[in-house]
Amino acid sequence: MSPRTVKVRIPPDNGYVPLFRTTVAGIAAREAFTLEEVDDLRMGVEEAAVLLLRRGGDDPITLEVSVTEHHLEANLSTPTDSGPEPVDETSFSWMILSALAHKVETHLEDGKARIILTKTRSTGALQ
Amino acid sequence: MNTQYTRQDTKMLFAQLRETEDPEIREQLARLHLPLVEYLAKRFKDRGEPLDDLVQVGSVGLLKAIDRFDLDRGVEFSTYATPTIVGELKRYFRDKGWAVRVPRRLQELSLRLNKVVAQLTQELGRSPTVPEIANQVGVSEEEVLEALESGQAYSTTSLDAPAGNDEEETPQRLERMGENDVALDNLEYFASLAPLIEELPEREREILYLRFFRGMTQSKIADHVGISQMHVSRLLTRILEFLREGMDEEGSA
Repeated sequence: MSPRTVKVRIPPDNGYVPLFRTTVAGIAAREAFTLEEVDDLRMGVEEAAVLLLRRGGDDPITLEVSVTEHHLEANLSTPTDSGPEPVDETSFSWMILSALAHKVETHLEDGKARIILTKTRSTGALQ
Repeated sequence: MNTQYTRQDTKMLFAQLRETEDPEIREQLARLHLPLVEYLAKRFKDRGEPLDDLVQVGSVGLLKAIDRFDLDRGVEFSTYATPTIVGELKRYFRDKGWAVRVPRRLQELSLRLNKVVAQLTQELGRSPTVPEIANQVGVSEEEVLEALESGQAYSTTSLDAPAGNDEEETPQRLERMGENDVALDNLEYFASLAPLIEELPEREREILYLRFFRGMTQSKIADHVGISQMHVSRLLTRILEFLREGMDEEGSA
């Protein structure tokens, strides 16, 4: 199964973050993740979005959610010229993200700050 | 338990409590009267909230009553405490009220889901998926999603209450003080967060620790703390929101 992808872009404004939350939750629930996994994703995406917003850029933030039979990946990014890594690995945020997702990746390259959360289905592959 | 014995005990404990203000005694009194809370909470059990959550709410009333009770009044403590406990339960339902207008059909479904989710979690040994819930309830997945989202909508509004609210703080510290205190020290590793975490009620601090430091699932935490998984979910969301806001304030200061 090739990944199914949904992309949402919001202005750099806290008020729009719930839209990300609802998006990822809606997709995860439709894709038969458990309620707890849905909840984890909702919280994780919010945390990641807030981290990108805190960089204080004027550019939009993009959330791309793709689902395969085993995983859901939430890829959040925003254009940035420089600055610190999106998540400091000794921070509380890192700890939260790692508890909520199975894998957390963070990149600062190609002019983008990026946080990728991957959640693996606990119920096994989708039929 | 022999009622007479309880009454004697209660009087003696209150006398001791007023003299020493020993939290141990307060705890003992609370434990002694938990059956009263359970009895009163059962009266509200048909409103779709898990009984455990109601007992938690009622316990807040019980502790208020313990703190306010005056031995010299010559009233039995249980007589005195009953309206306070019932008042707390009523207030809970009033505050919970569906602040966002949700169609009645969805309200009912949402309340039903609370039960089904708990039941399926038990059966499956894990949190259920939307298709599983839909199948069990006999409605479409879309309807389940709609109801869950409306449930989320109301819980978001009720999250506006300040997290440091001391009214919520008391009953939960009763059972498990001590055991987790040492472990909670780990949270203080994050120095900038320590003062904020300090402000959280004991139970929320524990939930925070169990979820993010110990990696426990919501259902496990629910079992451990004795509330429903949905309640854990709501509390976690609220805790993160609280910490985030606190950090933002600090950042802008």
